[in-house]
Amino acid sequence: MKPAPFVYYCPASLEEALELLAEHEEAKPLAGGQSLIPAMNFRLAAPAALVDLNRIAALAGDTGMENGGLRLGAMTRHSTLEKSRLVAERAPLLAETMPFIAHPQIRSRGTVGGSLAHADPAAELPAVMVALQATLVLQSAKAERRMPAEQFFSGLFATALEPGELLTAIELPALPARAGCAFEELARRHGDYALVGVAAVLSLDSRGRCEQARIVLLSVGDGPTLAAGAAAALAGLEPSAEAIRGAAEHAAATDIDPPSDIHASAAYRRQLARVLTRRALIRAAELARTASGIAER
Amino acid sequence: MIVEGTYPLPGTPDVIWNLLMDPEVLVKAMPGTKELVRTAPDRYEGVMRIGIGPITAAEFELVILLTDMKEPHSYAMQIDGKGRAGFTRGTASVELSPDGAGSMMHYSADLQVGGKIAAVGQRLLDSVSKLMTRQGLEALNRELQSRLGGAAV
Repeated sequence: MKPAPFVYYCPASLEEALELLAEHEEAKPLAGGQSLIPAMNFRLAAPAALVDLNRIAALAGDTGMENGGLRLGAMTRHSTLEKSRLVAERAPLLAETMPFIAHPQIRSRGTVGGSLAHADPAAELPAVMVALQATLVLQSAKAERRMPAEQFFSGLFATALEPGELLTAIELPALPARAGCAFEELARRHGDYALVGVAAVLSLDSRGRCEQARIVLLSVGDGPTLAAGAAAALAGLEPSAEAIRGAAEHAAATDIDPPSDIHASAAYRRQLARVLTRRALIRAAELARTASGIAER
Repeated sequence: MIVEGTYPLPGTPDVIWNLLMDPEVLVKAMPGTKELVRTAPDRYEGVMRIGIGPITAAEFELVILLTDMKEPHSYAMQIDGKGRAGFTRGTASVELSPDGAGSMMHYSADLQVGGKIAAVGQRLLDSVSKLMTRQGLEALNRELQSRLGGAAV
């Protein structure tokens, strides 16, 4: 369980890190190391060099933005987000999701940017960021570009990151006024990879009808999967039990094409998607009604 | 693990058959294959390197034996891959049938994957095999298009 030899760089500033990544195409950035280091120790990955981002203070931390949104440095640890009052206030979906991510030991080391750049199809954060319509900030030695989370994930462990480019920050817009969020997931044991998970954001118009629904499933395909059919089925309707059941059916039957593996068959994953989407939407609708001051009928 | 599907290809079964026997075409249809040599009329040997996400260093030595060859309709393959990260072995079959001006290819494979790569990546095997199949078929299609286009000139 020892990695193959590699060159280790430990830059103190972002500029230095970006220069190192531009210079050494074979180098991989090291964030929390909760996926990369095990892969290296198994000798399933053998990068020639690592650029350690852990000493770059500017990359860590969560700050509020003037528009009511939230900016997360890519090297912010899961445990920091989990305990952050600002996150709980401004991005309750993210706060609710944190305890589902692996185990406390892993959360104390793993980072939000690392999880997004790794793009594991069973990871929670990619789905949450797509649901929250996050903007990702990608920087290279030459340029900076910004991209909606939805466009960032391009396949199995694949993202829009170019060689030499680093995910440096995540910006979350403020939630609409009459919105509710919920996260649901099922794993065999707490902390295992999710068999299926779902992140939902639901906002209501002034008459209590669904204005917009963002329903994103995880572990049902190559990456976070936006359930567009389910969202369309709900649009303009009062989120009644019946409307939610219809949307959940859409999500399970047409929006996803889940894989089979030794942990769960595709049919079982569809059933989980149906149940978890329904539960998430029921809770999100309840919270949205509370936020709008509408009593539940 | 079973991979199965149908895929339309340009060209008649005769034309496609000959191209499918060409190691230079095959190498493109198998994502990650670095080299492939035809060591006998029914035997290919090569090296395949799998790179998906965190896994970048899994290299397999590959031996493919062709059996039940019914030119230009169908053939079967015995696949045997060994590497430090694990092994894969199994059988696959390919059927070609005329479909308008082109052909329809029906493929199915039943593969076992074992060793370290299976222990670590079990939950991803289905997604990875779907991805590699898709990449392979698209590459094969591109290769056939360009070769057939070239032949027509």
